Amino acid sequence: MHIRSVVVVNVALMGALVFMDTGCRTKAGGWRWPWQKDRSAEVGGLTDPTMVENTDLSKVTGEGGELVSGARFEDTLQAVQGVKFAPVYFAFDSYALPPSEVSKVEQVAQHLQQNSGHVLVVEGHCDERGSNEYNLSLGENRALAVRSYLVNLGVAADRIQTRSYGEEKPAVAGSGEEAWHLNRRGEFALFQK
Amino acid sequence: MHNIRLMMLVVVWMGGFVAQEAQAAGQPPLISVVKKGAEKNTVSLAGLSAAGPNGQLFVRTLTRDLELSGWFKVAPSGAVRVSGTAAEAGSGVQTGCRITWPGKAFSWNKVSMGQAEVRRQAHQLADEMVRLIAGETGIAQSRIVFVNRRGRNNADLYVCDADGLGVMQVTHDNVAAVGPRWAPNGRDIYYTSFVRGYPAVYRMVAGSERKALASFKGLNTGAAVSPDGGRVALVLSYQGNPELYVLSLASGQLTRLTQTPHGAEASPCWSPDGRSIVYVSDVAKMPQLYIVDVATRQSRRLTYKGAENVNPDWSRKGLIVYATKRGGGYQIATVDPRAGEGSCQTLTPAGDYEHPSWAPDGRHVICSSRSTLYVLDTLGDPAVRLINIPGNWMSPDWSDR
Repeated sequence: MHIRSVVVVNVALMGALVFMDTGCRTKAGGWRWPWQKDRSAEVGGLTDPTMVENTDLSKVTGEGGELVSGARFEDTLQAVQGVKFAPVYFAFDSYALPPSEVSKVEQVAQHLQQNSGHVLVVEGHCDERGSNEYNLSLGENRALAVRSYLVNLGVAADRIQTRSYGEEKPAVAGSGEEAWHLNRRGEFALFQK
Repeated sequence: MHNIRLMMLVVVWMGGFVAQEAQAAGQPPLISVVKKGAEKNTVSLAGLSAAGPNGQLFVRTLTRDLELSGWFKVAPSGAVRVSGTAAEAGSGVQTGCRITWPGKAFSWNKVSMGQAEVRRQAHQLADEMVRLIAGETGIAQSRIVFVNRRGRNNADLYVCDADGLGVMQVTHDNVAAVGPRWAPNGRDIYYTSFVRGYPAVYRMVAGSERKALASFKGLNTGAAVSPDGGRVALVLSYQGNPELYVLSLASGQLTRLTQTPHGAEASPCWSPDGRSIVYVSDVAKMPQLYIVDVATRQSRRLTYKGAENVNPDWSRKGLIVYATKRGGGYQIATVDPRAGEGSCQTLTPAGDYEHPSWAPDGRHVICSSRSTLYVLDTLGDPAVRLINIPGNWMSPDWSDR
C-alpha cells in the first residue's frame, strides 16, 4: 500500500474514532468507558423476597373491600350446542362495531330474548400484527364493544361475559389483507343457565 | 501528559482497526452495527487443561460465557489468564484453576456432578470473572423463558440458559400461552394461559405445580412481579374494560391504577425501585408507553414518535427498552425515562424485531425476530442468534439473576 494512502486511512480512522460515540451516554455530564461501573441507578436492589406461596384467590378484595369473584360461565355452565352465529368483523386497530355488522348482533340479541335460559360469552380476536400482549387487550375491547351493543338492545348485562384470544386463535392461517380481515372478529358462545 | 494521551489514542485506534478487520473476515452481522463494539479484556484459556469430555464441556461453556458477556475476547494469549485443570471426576468435573490478571489473582476449586452441574459451574466462574475483572454483573447464570408457538391455540413455555443451551420445556399444555415473566427470585414464572379456555394468570414454581393467580371475569393478563417480590401488576377487565391493577400477594388486595374507559392497557413493567410502572395504553388511539406512579396513580405519557410503542422492559440501570413501529416495521429502541423520548436510540433497523427484555447486566437485550431469539448489545457488539433448534420461538423474558 502507498505510504500516503496508509497515512490518510489512519488519520481518517483516528478522526472517526474521536467523533464516534464510543462510551456510554452519562446522565449528568462526564464521560466513562463502557466497562466502568455505574451503580447509581440501582435503587432497591434484589433482596430475597418473602414470597407468599398461597395467595388465596377466593379472598382477593377490591378497594372497596368487596370480594372479587371469578364466576365465569365457562366454569359453571354447560355449553349450548347446535346454535351458530356469524362472526362480526372489525377494522384494523379498532374495536368499534362497524354498521355492516350490526344486523348480526341484532340476531344474537333476538336469540337471547327468545331463550331466557341462555347466556352468552363474546370472544374477541385480532389479526397477527402487533404485540401479542396488546392484542389480548384489544381483543377484549372488541368483545366488550359487542357486549355493549347487546346491552343497548335490551339484553341484561349479567347475561353476557367476554373473553379475548388476542391473536392466538386465528380463523384463517397466513398473512395479507384477506386473512387479517377474517381474523379481526368477534365470535359467540352460548351457555345454558 | 501529551504523550500518554497520544499513545492511548493510538492504542484505541489500533484496537478499532483490528476489530473491524476481524468483523469483516467472519460472518456478516445480522444487524449492521454503527458503533464499533465494546472494549474487551483479552483472556487466554491456553493454560487450562481438560483431558476428558466433562472437562472439555467445562472449558467450552466457560469460553462461550466469557465471549457472550461482552467484556472478554478469548484469544491464544491475553492479559487475563486462566490456568489449571478441569479433570474428570465421576459423572462430572473437578476444577483446580488460577485466574490471573495484571496485579491480581484468584483461585477456583470446585467439584460438580453431572453435565448440568458442570455447565452451571462454568457459568458461575464466568460470572465471577466478569464481576472481579470487569466490575460488572455477569449474565452467564441467568436464564430465559420464552414461548414456542406451534400453531393455532397451541403453545408451551420453554426455558434455556443465557447461552441458549439447556433448552427445557416447562409446560405441556398445547394451548395458547402469552407473556411469560420471571419473578425476581429467578425461580417462579408468571404467565397467561388458556388452559381453561379463557385467559387467566398463573404462577409456576420452576418445574413444579402451577397455581391460578387471577381468573376473574373478562381479561386476566399482564402479570409482572415487583422487584421486592411482594406485588404483581395485572391487566384485568372485571370492572369494565382492561385496566392496570396491582395485587398485593400478602393481603390479596387489588389496587386499581388506571381509569380509562375508552382505552385498554397492556404490558406493565416495574421500575427498578418499585415505585413506578411503565405500560402500554391506547387511550391516544394507538398503543403508546406511559409511566404511572404507583403511590399517587398519576400517569404521564412517555412516547409520541412511531405508530405504536409496545412491550416495554425496564432495566436496573434505569433505561426502558421497547418495540417501536416506524414506517411499517418494528424495531427495538431504548429510552431514558428521566430524559424523555429525545434520548431514544434504536438498537436494530426497522423490520420485525419484537418483545425485548433486558439481561441482568443492563447492557444486553434479548428479542424475537423471524421465529427465533437474538441477543442484542447496547454497546455495539453484533447480534447473536440464541436458539438454533427448530421452533417458532417468541416472547422471551430474561431473568433478573
